[in-house]
Amino acid sequence: MHNTFTPCLKAEWLKKRHSFSSWLVIIGGSFTPLIYMLVFFIYPKQLADLHQSPGFWKMLFLRSWETMSLLLLPMGIVLAVSLITQLEFKNNTWKQLHTAPVSFSSIYFSKLMVILVMMLQLFILFNFTTYLSAVIPSMLSKKVPFPLYEMNVFYFLKENSIFFITCLPMVAFQYLISLQFKNFLVPIGAGLALVTAGLIAHSWKYIYMIPSTYTGLHFMEAATNKPSGHNIIALSLGYFLFFVVLGYVLYIAKKEKG
Amino acid sequence: MPKILFGMQQLTQTTCFADQIAHFAEKSYLTAGKFLLLLYIKSRTMYSVQTSGVFHHFSENDPVLKDIALQVPSGSIYGFLGPNGAGKTTTLRLLLGLIKKQQGSILIFDKPIENHRMEILRNIGSLIEMPSMYGHLTASENLRIWQQLYQCPYSRIAKALETVDLANTGTKKVSQFSLGMKQRLGIAAALLHEPSLLILDEPTNGLDPYGMMEIRDLLKKLNYEHGITIVISSHLLSEIEKLVTHTGIISHGQMVFQGTLDSLVSRQLSASKLILNTSNNLQATDVLKLLQLDTSIENGMLTIPIPEKEMIAQLNRELVKANIDVYEINPVQKDLETIFMELINQTTHA
Repeated sequence: MHNTFTPCLKAEWLKKRHSFSSWLVIIGGSFTPLIYMLVFFIYPKQLADLHQSPGFWKMLFLRSWETMSLLLLPMGIVLAVSLITQLEFKNNTWKQLHTAPVSFSSIYFSKLMVILVMMLQLFILFNFTTYLSAVIPSMLSKKVPFPLYEMNVFYFLKENSIFFITCLPMVAFQYLISLQFKNFLVPIGAGLALVTAGLIAHSWKYIYMIPSTYTGLHFMEAATNKPSGHNIIALSLGYFLFFVVLGYVLYIAKKEKG
Repeated sequence: MPKILFGMQQLTQTTCFADQIAHFAEKSYLTAGKFLLLLYIKSRTMYSVQTSGVFHHFSENDPVLKDIALQVPSGSIYGFLGPNGAGKTTTLRLLLGLIKKQQGSILIFDKPIENHRMEILRNIGSLIEMPSMYGHLTASENLRIWQQLYQCPYSRIAKALETVDLANTGTKKVSQFSLGMKQRLGIAAALLHEPSLLILDEPTNGLDPYGMMEIRDLLKKLNYEHGITIVISSHLLSEIEKLVTHTGIISHGQMVFQGTLDSLVSRQLSASKLILNTSNNLQATDVLKLLQLDTSIENGMLTIPIPEKEMIAQLNRELVKANIDVYEINPVQKDLETIFMELINQTTHA
């Protein structure tokens, strides 16, 4: 039995070169922090205010995560994941891929793995640019001091890990649906509908049932220090597993593979 | 040793065409003993593709394929012909496992595709319908992807690009390629892992005559020099009659002909007629019957199956001897295209 996962993974990684999805990682990872950087340049007082608040880095981090977790990240996931699978539909390459001597499981999981690694890249870039959003204006502006505060690395690792886990259901859902439809608008529409439903249902008591809301729900927990009353991590992992398995079954069961 | 192995690989893939054997002998790849051994191996693997009783339908009461029995001899160039919608692409997709087989048996290299998918696909290069390449990448970046998937040496990329004359495309994105260039890149991808069987679905679709000729020459070269078995589908006989050694004709999901190109040409000859325009057809019929020729009168002209040229001279002499004026002796040959159309129409009217 040949190991076909590694060559598949390498091939998938090559495919995303110069693709819009890889640009989306860069844009999505740096968009909010760059906006804040601009704001800090124009209104240095806002950065100065952050210096007054307890836990400078934590406040900066949560400020960046606010729009990211509630809207930008779920929407970015919808777009990036759909673009990855669309590479095959758009270029008419499913049939060629399915006549390569690799298992269907390798194809399915290698694509998913590439998406997850891209997510990881986005998180790293987001954290780094968030850091720069405070450092660069402080270096260039004489009105605010340089942030020399100690950084609680463990806190950031933990929070990033939780945000990452809360993204997984949306990634798996979008992956599942975008593998099924050739028309790009269908998965995009379904994903955005789910994100919008999550935003509309923000005060619904069963909001925890909607997987697109988990990053937002966790942000609320982190920002207010109040638990939501639901185990979001367990729910996220559960949904993720469910969508991945369902997506795999549907993909394998497809009668026509190109 | 590698040369002998190369020779073995070639012979096990090819039928014993005299010129191919001469080619190997000339290159001294084989000794006589090894050659006989190879002939024995060869005799055990006659067909690269063999199907029987293949039926397929996409919806109830709408069969797309009916009892398809393909036999593609190893080393041949098999032209799979049929009009649009006849079932060619569906058959080829079944061979490649792109759609699930519903009924019948499909053997590739003597093994069923459903149980030996990966093993079989390692030895197949394919191009189904339009080229499948990533438009945002360059030609070599595209081949790098397939090189990873087929796990073949990196050096094959340059060789494959050279084979299809795309070595100088540099950083040009595939989306900027012409259709002909895309088709050639598709063939390069199919050749990358040095397969022993190429399955090409209408590879010259959309190409200009020069592009078609280029692809034909390339395929001939691959078959002749590397012994690659080629299955090529087309809806135009004229497009591939100069290329193929064997032909299968499909119409309305049914095979209406399968055999060597020579046997199709024989059909053409047997369907040829000699038309005679004489002053007295009834009397001429009696004279020709004495020469044991089957005669009929069509549109006021005497028609007989085309005989040997000596017989044509003799019948003319006999007719003149019998005081019958002969105004015209006209051989009418059906071209291959007409034979092809007639074969297709058989199922249309059936």
